[in-house]
Amino acid sequence: MTEDSQRNFRSVYYEKVGFRGVEEKKSLEILLKDDRLDIEKLCTFSQRFPLPSMYRALVWKVLLGILPPHHESHAQVMMYRKEQYSDVLHALKVVRFVNDATPQVEVYLRMYQLESGKLPRNPSFPLKPEDEVFLAIAKAMEEMVEDSVDCYWITRCFVNQLNKYRDSLPQLAVRGGNVMSWEVSNLFLFHHQPKAFEQYLNLEDSRLLSHLKMCSAVSRLPYDLWFKRCFAGCLPESSLQRVWDKVVSGSCKILVFVAVEILLTFKLKVMALNNSEKITKFLENIPQDSSDAIVSKAIDLWHKHCGTPVHSA
Amino acid sequence: MAQQANLGELLSTLDSPVLSERDEVTAIFKENLNADRGPMLVNTLVDYYLETSSQQVLHILTTLQEPHDKHLLDKMNEYVGKAASRLSTLSLLGHAIRLQPPWKHKLSQAPLLPSLLKCLKVDTDVVVLTTGVLVLITMLPMVPQAGKQHLHDFFDIFGRLSSWCLKKPGHVAEIYLVHLHASVYALFHRLYGMYPCNFVSFLRSHYTMKENLETFEEVVKPMMEHVRIHPELVTGSKDLELDPRRWKKLETHDVVIECARISLDPTEASYEDGCSVSHQNSARPPPRAADVTASPHVDPQNSFGSVTSTPHSASRPMSSTPGQPPPPLSSPAPRLSAEAPQAALWSPSLVCGMATPPTSPGNVPPDCAQPYSKAFGASGGKGTPSGTPATSPPPAPPCHSDDCVHGPCPPPTAPHARKEERTDPARPCLHRQHHLPNDRGLEELPGSKELPLSDLPGFLGGLASEEDSIEKDKEEAAIYKELSEITTADTEPLVPRGGFDSPFYQDSLLGCPRKTPSATAGAQGTSVHPESFNSSLDKLGPDTPKQAFTPIELPCGGPDESPAGSRERQTPPEPRILTPSPFRVPSQRGAGLSSGQPPPYDHLFEVALPKAAHHFVSTKTQELIKKVPGSSEGAWVPSASPLEVLDRLIQQGADAHSKELSRLSLPSKSVDWTHFGDEIRTLRNQLLLLHNQLLYERFKRQQHAVRNRRLLRRVIRAAALEEHNAAMKDQLKLQEKEIQIWKVSLQKERARYSQLQEQRDTMVAQLHSQIRQLQHDREEFYNQSQELQTKLEDCRNMVAELRLELKKANSKVCHTELLLGQVSQKLSNSESVQQQMEFLNRQLLVLGEVNELYLEQLQNKHSDTTKEVEVMKAAYRKELEKHRSYALQQSQRLDTSQRRVLELEAQLAKKDHLLVEQKKYLEDVKLQARGQLQAAESRYEAQKRITQVFELEVLDLYGRLEKDGLLRKLEVERTEAAEAAEERPDCCNNSGSGPVRGHSDAVSGHNGETRPPRPGSTRGGGGSGSVGSGSSGSSSGSSQLSTPEKPPAQRAGPFSSRWETAVGEPSASIPATVGSLPSSKSFLGMKARELFRNKSESQCDEDGVTGSGLSETLKPGVDAGVEAKTPLSPDGPRPAPPSPDSVGQLRIMDYNEAHQEHS
Repeated sequence: MTEDSQRNFRSVYYEKVGFRGVEEKKSLEILLKDDRLDIEKLCTFSQRFPLPSMYRALVWKVLLGILPPHHESHAQVMMYRKEQYSDVLHALKVVRFVNDATPQVEVYLRMYQLESGKLPRNPSFPLKPEDEVFLAIAKAMEEMVEDSVDCYWITRCFVNQLNKYRDSLPQLAVRGGNVMSWEVSNLFLFHHQPKAFEQYLNLEDSRLLSHLKMCSAVSRLPYDLWFKRCFAGCLPESSLQRVWDKVVSGSCKILVFVAVEILLTFKLKVMALNNSEKITKFLENIPQDSSDAIVSKAIDLWHKHCGTPVHSA
Repeated sequence: MAQQANLGELLSTLDSPVLSERDEVTAIFKENLNADRGPMLVNTLVDYYLETSSQQVLHILTTLQEPHDKHLLDKMNEYVGKAASRLSTLSLLGHAIRLQPPWKHKLSQAPLLPSLLKCLKVDTDVVVLTTGVLVLITMLPMVPQAGKQHLHDFFDIFGRLSSWCLKKPGHVAEIYLVHLHASVYALFHRLYGMYPCNFVSFLRSHYTMKENLETFEEVVKPMMEHVRIHPELVTGSKDLELDPRRWKKLETHDVVIECARISLDPTEASYEDGCSVSHQNSARPPPRAADVTASPHVDPQNSFGSVTSTPHSASRPMSSTPGQPPPPLSSPAPRLSAEAPQAALWSPSLVCGMATPPTSPGNVPPDCAQPYSKAFGASGGKGTPSGTPATSPPPAPPCHSDDCVHGPCPPPTAPHARKEERTDPARPCLHRQHHLPNDRGLEELPGSKELPLSDLPGFLGGLASEEDSIEKDKEEAAIYKELSEITTADTEPLVPRGGFDSPFYQDSLLGCPRKTPSATAGAQGTSVHPESFNSSLDKLGPDTPKQAFTPIELPCGGPDESPAGSRERQTPPEPRILTPSPFRVPSQRGAGLSSGQPPPYDHLFEVALPKAAHHFVSTKTQELIKKVPGSSEGAWVPSASPLEVLDRLIQQGADAHSKELSRLSLPSKSVDWTHFGDEIRTLRNQLLLLHNQLLYERFKRQQHAVRNRRLLRRVIRAAALEEHNAAMKDQLKLQEKEIQIWKVSLQKERARYSQLQEQRDTMVAQLHSQIRQLQHDREEFYNQSQELQTKLEDCRNMVAELRLELKKANSKVCHTELLLGQVSQKLSNSESVQQQMEFLNRQLLVLGEVNELYLEQLQNKHSDTTKEVEVMKAAYRKELEKHRSYALQQSQRLDTSQRRVLELEAQLAKKDHLLVEQKKYLEDVKLQARGQLQAAESRYEAQKRITQVFELEVLDLYGRLEKDGLLRKLEVERTEAAEAAEERPDCCNNSGSGPVRGHSDAVSGHNGETRPPRPGSTRGGGGSGSVGSGSSGSSSGSSQLSTPEKPPAQRAGPFSSRWETAVGEPSASIPATVGSLPSSKSFLGMKARELFRNKSESQCDEDGVTGSGLSETLKPGVDAGVEAKTPLSPDGPRPAPPSPDSVGQLRIMDYNEAHQEHS
């Protein structure tokens, strides 16, 4: 009770003064204090608010299932994970896929490949597109997470989640006929992101869309970069992690809005370009300076169109 | 030229004696004039007129319409410049102007005016001058604004002419000078009247000069004596009086009257105020003054009175005698009888500034009516007479009203005196008489004064019927003149003419008759006059065809018949007519020539003129009457007016005379006719002058008439208003009376009302007293009733009390009765009790005796029974205590047991709670464990992958090694083994080099175990390439391992030892089993999958369950299944042992707890 009231009366002032993080941090701490972590609540929280960086790794791990909800088993589970990591790494070293000179990202990739049974016979085999995606994500993740074990695990689970969304779509689409829950719709959208992207872009700025259509650039936009790599390598990590907060918590739709917002932000430049290739090229290498604003706006836009997610429980 | 000739012809026919022809020609001319706008016709006409002085042409010229006026004026201007035609032109101009043509305002701009002025300044002919001055005087009021430019010309002319009067340039005849003087006097009047300031300043400047002083003394000063100070001299200024705005308001006649107003001359100003009458009288020349004074004073007043008073009398009666509404009819009576009152009456008309003139025309009718009414007794007969005169005046009066100014007074009186004085009474009758059948036919006067119109017709009719008549007239006139010339002095042969055509006569004649009817009617034998009138009227009514002239004609016709009857009486009027002329002339002359100059030729008029005229006229008329009694009516020219007639008469007389003269002169030219001719010329000129003057006067009179008409209108309006006023007053009076009546009635009503009120008051008072009394009574009654009511209440209360008492008494009675009953019962009871008592007492006694007996017995038996009782008591007591302790014991037990139950229940609840908690905890732990397990599993998976990788690596390495070995072997065995070479292709076909070797190994090693590879090979076909190769590799590599896997189902025991050995390398076999299980045996695969899926659960669950589950499927070797399970998961032993332990521990703990709590 006291805690609650304290939070309430302060929150008003924090909101007013503009310290958004303070209150959120506190509430997150409260959430994390629970012995058995409430995954749902954490999901909702990370969807509504940006995560404080000091808790980001923990929350992500919990959300991605790397850590169980019980604090007691954290240490043990983490130990397992570490062992697993070292075992796999060792195995890779043994089979000489990896040596000390191998870049960390590739190590992650080989580990992932090994764990998913997709390790090629020879390390010199060419990389598949999904491997490229993994590499990009892992590279971004490396910047965000310091510990290599954590980094590997998070990257692995993140990629798995993305793949899970993608794979489970047909199943979900069948089921989604009657109940289209938040996540289901998200999943659904994950695969129709290009379409959804067009739809929202039309709502926000139809002229821009028509321009793109005129240039026949709509189909050539860097959807892979945006929706498969989740903007890894497109946005700087500092802002990217905010986007990934949402993705990790189960909302893929944010990617669409980030893409829309990128187009809106660079509307003038995009309008100035007539060639679809140029547009694509430009979009693949957008300037990094305004990324924070883009992300903030994208989140606002997302809230605007999809409403603020509320803890259903 | 043809036109000219035609014109000449026409002009000549214009003067033809045939009237119809003349009219036609006149009409033609007028048409031409209307059609033609050129100056030619007008010029011709002017020329013709100047030649012939034709009356018709004059008529045409004077009535010229607008466009031709310019030509006329131009033409006249032209002729005025020529000395020869100047005189006639001037007279033409005079004629034209006097008719006041519509274009008169153009005169001021016309060049004619300057030329006229110039000729007046330059000319030396007195006749021309006189004519010109008269024309100028006539013109001045018409163009007053012209004065601004020509004012000094006017003044110069006045100066010149006034000096002329005195200086008398030698060749000018004295007679002419008189005329000139008169005209100068008129000019003086006009100028003084119109421009007083300028004129006075001119006089001052002009006559301060020495050379003019004499003229002033002689001529101007006397003139000034006859004017009063002009008000403009005080209020106006030189510039102001020249201001056109001043003149805009005034019409011509207004100007004329204005000028006349400032005159002290009675004849000029008489009508403007009442004094003028007396003035007139006093101003008369002395010789006639006596006559005049004698009669005029009475008569004028009489006439005036009668005339003027009529309205008064009319109005007065109205107020005085309310009974008779129509005053005009009733009033005459007193007036006719008494003259005195009339004299006293000073009519309001005079006060209004309306002198005689208006009265005469306006009043004549009533006057006339009165007599008639008098005579006929105000019966129906009045209608016509009163009506006719009433209608007549309007047309006629205008012309004559003017005359009345001069005429009215003298005529009545004069006649008598004159008649006696004058030897020939008939003379004055003049032309009036010449119309009349006889001289004395003067009762026509009433008619004759209108006659000018009526007799002219007659006269003209004569002319018309007899073309020669005029000539005859002329001839006769000439003859008579001749005669007169012979008889009278030679010097004044023409005087008659002058007098003849002098306007005064006519004026007077015209004036008096007008009055006379009324005057005579009123003053003199009224009875006679009316009769005559009536008779004439009655007779004439039917005769006269023209209604318009009926009044005028009456006399005309009347004279014919009435004279016969009324000749004797008509005598008085006759003289009346005579008188005026002398008076008029003298008066005017006197005024004109100033007092100092006795009229030098006045008497000449009277003496000389009448004779010829009388003769001429009388004869003429007689002839006419003889000839034209009937025709006069038929050949009637309506347009002719008496004035014209007069003019014409004069003209014709002059013509006749000149003819005569010429005729005479023709033979006697040789004689010294020259002188005579001179005389004649002078006389003619004089005649002309007189005519001019006459015309001027007539013009003045017309102006007066115009004004009079206006004034008359005002009078009528005033009279009407007065009547209206009177009527209103009457009404007012009536209303006042009514009001008074109403007031009286009001008072009465008030009185009645007050009376009624008093009555009412008294009644009210009475009623009030009654009411009071009644109220008093009522109160008394009320009090009484109240008293009674109180009494009633009391009574009621008493009754109630009594009733209560009654009730009480009743109850008491009842009670007592009851008591009585009770008492009686008690009594009976007590009686019985007494009886019982007695009985009991007896029994008591008996029992006492018995008791005594028993007591005696008891005392005997008491000692042995007490011991036994005491023992028994003690026993009982002990027994009781025993039971008590037992009960206590029992209750204690119950308590303890109850407590125990409660405790147990609490424990049970606790345990339940604990159970729930434990469950929760269990769940939690389960979850935790699951998490850990998942991690472990993932680790395990990873490990599997690792081992796979390793296996692959190892196999790869093996493969390489064997390859090397095989190569070596091939080299060795290539030659020796053919069979091996046969089998090789199969192996090569199946699975590369590695499997071939393994296969061969297996074939070579174990024959009985050839089966397993087959399924393995099939497996390899169904699985992925790598796995297949792996499995085949494994099967070949670890044949010992793979074989035991399948055999266990058949021979579990013997191979178990092998299993143990295989444990050292389990990871390699496991993938194979995993991979093989589903495909090889469906149910085994199922189990395996089940196992994998429910590993965690199954581990948590009792082993039995899985065992049973497995036993169902794995009938042959349960043990083997169990055994197989343990090796399946190499890590399994590790978690498995603890988990049963932990479960056991949990269980133990649970049990322990339960046990502890239970125990």
